[in-house]
Amino acid sequence: MTVEYALVLFCIIIGPLLLSRDKKLNLYGHSAALAKSIGIVCVTFWVWDVVATARQHWWFNDAYVLGPRLLGMPIEEWLFFVVLSFVSIFTWESTKYFLKRRR
Amino acid sequence: MKEYTIAAVVAALLVVLLDGKLGTRVLRQSAFWIFLAVMYAFKLLVNGYLTWRPIVTYNSEFFLGLRLFTIPVEDFVYGFSLIAMSVILWEYLKARKQTGRT
Repeated sequence: MTVEYALVLFCIIIGPLLLSRDKKLNLYGHSAALAKSIGIVCVTFWVWDVVATARQHWWFNDAYVLGPRLLGMPIEEWLFFVVLSFVSIFTWESTKYFLKRRR
Repeated sequence: MKEYTIAAVVAALLVVLLDGKLGTRVLRQSAFWIFLAVMYAFKLLVNGYLTWRPIVTYNSEFFLGLRLFTIPVEDFVYGFSLIAMSVILWEYLKARKQTGRT
């Protein structure tokens, strides 16, 4: 299924995205910091990934990606870093919240 | 040459330096390592699926060839960089805004 990689990304982000509006985490109270952090991480890892893909450190299976590519990378791979940096920040804030509540 | 192995280790070291340089001290908090364990647990599922299918295939020329299930060990070092860099920048940018420095 060509939607498979996209589905994986959807499964990763859907939970955090829905829960991220919780006031206790206050993610969107710092939306500029959130956007900037995600932006810087994405640019850094996009550069790495484009070079690594060009040098054939790894490659992506056409059977599981939607098709559109940019600089050799499927659109899903570009989105991967947006998803992962967001989910990291969400999980970090959640971890801190639960640890604080336990004390 | 094991370019992926080298790149992953260098990136992880740079992220450790970044945490020191920005003064965020994220890596010194026990909460960070608990958080990383949670992320790795999910990572086993996701990265495991991506490499088992495989949606992404790794070139044996560029990594050590050691795997946990189907996941190259380098991916855990790579994952550390991605995860840690995200929260270090987040903590830094959030604090910078709160203290009013630009």
